[in-house]
Amino acid sequence: MSTLTLLAPGDEFKPPGLELFDAAPIISGVAWFTKPVLLALLSSVIVIGFCWSAFGNPKLVPRGVQNVGEMGYMFVRDQVARPFLGKDADRWMGLLLSMFFLVWVWNLMGVIPVLQFPVASHIAFPIVLALSVYVLKIYLGVKHQGVIGYFKNMMFPPGLPKPIYVLLAPIELLSNMIIAPFTHAVRLFANMFAGHIILAFFSLVGFWFLFEKLTPLGAPLGVVGVVMTIAMTGFEMFIQFLQAFLFAMLAAMYIGNSLHADH
Amino acid sequence: MPAMSEKKIRPEDDGRDFANAAWSIPSYLLSGMILYGGAGWLLSEWTGVVAFTPIGLILGVALSVYLVYRKYGR
Repeated sequence: MSTLTLLAPGDEFKPPGLELFDAAPIISGVAWFTKPVLLALLSSVIVIGFCWSAFGNPKLVPRGVQNVGEMGYMFVRDQVARPFLGKDADRWMGLLLSMFFLVWVWNLMGVIPVLQFPVASHIAFPIVLALSVYVLKIYLGVKHQGVIGYFKNMMFPPGLPKPIYVLLAPIELLSNMIIAPFTHAVRLFANMFAGHIILAFFSLVGFWFLFEKLTPLGAPLGVVGVVMTIAMTGFEMFIQFLQAFLFAMLAAMYIGNSLHADH
Repeated sequence: MPAMSEKKIRPEDDGRDFANAAWSIPSYLLSGMILYGGAGWLLSEWTGVVAFTPIGLILGVALSVYLVYRKYGR
């Protein structure tokens, strides 16, 4: 901080902070309608539109959008659904595919010029998805294993010495019922939140030292900022894809574990 | 309990087990630490013996690691 202050005499360089995530209502008086809400709606429209044009009128020999859509479908089916759901994979493809595409588009909003806001960096959005998966997971578990069977299979994995269950069953319960859905939402949120701050920080460094306060000493720092912004944008796009994949994958994992008890 | 060599290994189950384990570990570790670390902290508060908190934390981690090992490690 002190070096930055030395390089920019007069006004102090202020790194971006939480104010990045304060969203004012777009229409005054409608408090809930903010930029992330607008982007979330836009994302839904994009995903619906994409799926419609890709799968609405399928041809035997796929061309254009259908080709791209089928690549996405194959990826989700082979990497997300089948490893965890096996023969049940096809039944759950609708949910998993929509979830993967939606989260990915949410995340991509963070690097699309002008929009530049990852929807999932407001934790409410991942919480809604994670909560839906959580409810679905418990419903399926109870449906397929029975209330007692579900909790018994969850808390008492077979093959452990009897006395140790007293110590391990609470860990299983806490892990499956509270920590797992919590980390499901937080993992996506935290990645998008941190990524947005990093991008904002480096682009502000570039802007500040090259445009706002151009000094001979500061200019190289500004160049570093610009280069890092470009590099980090690329890295961020990788993370955005990865987190969308992980979110859908964990959903598939929870569903799979509810359909069939571990071992 | 069948031995390692007798266990039927289907490729899709193998992948599922591995990913299950990999993604369950953080949540098990957290749960163990919160549960037994929390219990240890409560004991420290009541008895005034500060050592209970770290003992609880370490016990929690050890139990979680043991659980993951027994569930997925064999």
